[in-house]
Amino acid sequence: MISLLVSRGLQSVLIVALVVTFSFLLIHSAPGDPFAGALDNPRVSAGVRARLRAEYGLDRPLPEQFGKYVSQLARGNLGWSFSRGRPVREVLADVLPRTLLLMGTALLASFLIGVAVATVQVSRRGTALDRFLDRASLFFASMPDFWLAILILLAFSYWLPLFPIGGAADAVMHDSLSAPGRLADSLWHLALPAGTLTLLFASGIARFQRGALLDVMPLDFIRTARGKGLRERHILLRHAMRNALLTLITLIGLSFPDLLTGAVFIEKVFAWPGMGLTTVDAVGARDYPLVIACVIVGSVLVVLGSLLADLLYRWADPRLRER
Amino acid sequence: MSKSAIWSRPSSRAAFLTLAVFFAAAVFAPFVAPYNPIAQPDIIALKDLPPSPAHPLGTDPYSRDVLSRVIYGARLSLGIGLLATIISVTLGVAYGAVSGLAGGIVDSVMMRILDALMAIPRLLLLIALLASWHSLPVTTLVLFLGFTGWFGLSRIVRGQVLALKQSEFVMAARAIGANRGRIIVTHLLPNLFSVIVVAATLGFANVVVLEAGLSYLGIGVPQPLASWGNIIQDGAENVSGLWWLSLFPGLALLATVVSLNTIGERIRETFQTVR
Repeated sequence: MISLLVSRGLQSVLIVALVVTFSFLLIHSAPGDPFAGALDNPRVSAGVRARLRAEYGLDRPLPEQFGKYVSQLARGNLGWSFSRGRPVREVLADVLPRTLLLMGTALLASFLIGVAVATVQVSRRGTALDRFLDRASLFFASMPDFWLAILILLAFSYWLPLFPIGGAADAVMHDSLSAPGRLADSLWHLALPAGTLTLLFASGIARFQRGALLDVMPLDFIRTARGKGLRERHILLRHAMRNALLTLITLIGLSFPDLLTGAVFIEKVFAWPGMGLTTVDAVGARDYPLVIACVIVGSVLVVLGSLLADLLYRWADPRLRER
Repeated sequence: MSKSAIWSRPSSRAAFLTLAVFFAAAVFAPFVAPYNPIAQPDIIALKDLPPSPAHPLGTDPYSRDVLSRVIYGARLSLGIGLLATIISVTLGVAYGAVSGLAGGIVDSVMMRILDALMAIPRLLLLIALLASWHSLPVTTLVLFLGFTGWFGLSRIVRGQVLALKQSEFVMAARAIGANRGRIIVTHLLPNLFSVIVVAATLGFANVVVLEAGLSYLGIGVPQPLASWGNIIQDGAENVSGLWWLSLFPGLALLATVVSLNTIGERIRETFQTVR
């Protein structure tokens, strides 16, 4: 277990190092720099641009810039955000928890809903209900995430104004509310973004879990359980479910990138002030340090997610535990 | 038998028909579209018009006709998706086949590199790539989408090649003196066909959505060109007032993706039951 942890840990560090190098090179090899936009502004002279470039070290050779970046990164310094006028670390400290809240809520809810739907489908397989749920889950799994978010926003914030049109809390009232009032306000703002992400993610989980359950059902131990005279419901929920959940753990680890991608679009549509929205805004403002930091943090999240799933898998499967 | 099994399902026939309509619209766009998709006839009087007989899908904030933009958008969105898919399928099959055939240390090095590439979320990788371009040429977008889309397929192809390498018919071919090229072309590729077709169909759907998403974020297809994603972006500032800008291109997008996914799943099911 320890050696596994070490080797998987090293692998993760290596991957993150590759991501850091990739994103640094990508951004610096492309045409333009953060001050290129100033070219359109006749009042910014070439001299001023050169001075700005020198001030931010952008006139140094690429290897030197990279070395500096990595050594700063190692000390936890992610640089200075041009567009927000504050350290990148502070910006991320504000927005990352909100993204984790959104992703965490959606992950938990879609796990519960997805598994429940798959179980219903398998216990009623071949019926109209099974076929309906199959169509529905394929439909939502095919749904472009940002477009579903727009439709839900239109339906439940504009046409049927039940929920706020965006943000993570009421801009005016939030701070003056009582503690339960603040919680209710936050949940009210979380409902639509988290609900949309859940809808998208749960359909994938349901489709996968249905397949995993159907793969397990013809196996010998299920036949044995039937032979013992156990009820079908008990067989499905206790015997088949345990085995099928193992494959699901792997899937969830692998689908962290999708969850993160969904979060980026959903944050944009619902103006949820998390890391996704920050990334998109930083791209618009050509705020390189912030973009790189978001890409790196995003990849770290994905790597951590898959590492966690891997460990969980080994812990959950007694056949692997002893090794 | 397998081909007719796909065709006999009403849902897959509907899917093929939908795709045929969109591809026809894309190819014959200049003849089908009622207006010039980038013309701004009257930016004061004709902007933001809701759907009407003259403009069945309304107009956008620049007074451009949305129906014409959706039709021309099919051209770009499907074209970009198709080309990017061709690139990524080619890369994925080549990389996976080489890795699987080579085996040994070459194989394990190639697989570790693949692990690292797969750990980077594709959207973030593309954002990092695209962020640094002011106005992105469409060919570059196609290349970026193609070059970031082959990782999953190459892993599947490698697995299949490893399994096929040990199969009796490949051993037999080798025993009668067939060379490597002949084994790849006449024995491996036909057996990989179903896997590749399924991956290409699902990958196509994926990349169409991805391009739309990037264009929606304003870093995909540049204005004034029309893609389904950036038509939606034109209405993003005022979703409730300009709902037709989000709804119609989105429906086209959804119909395309659902059709492609349906076909992909049917092909997968058919070949799985045959196997």
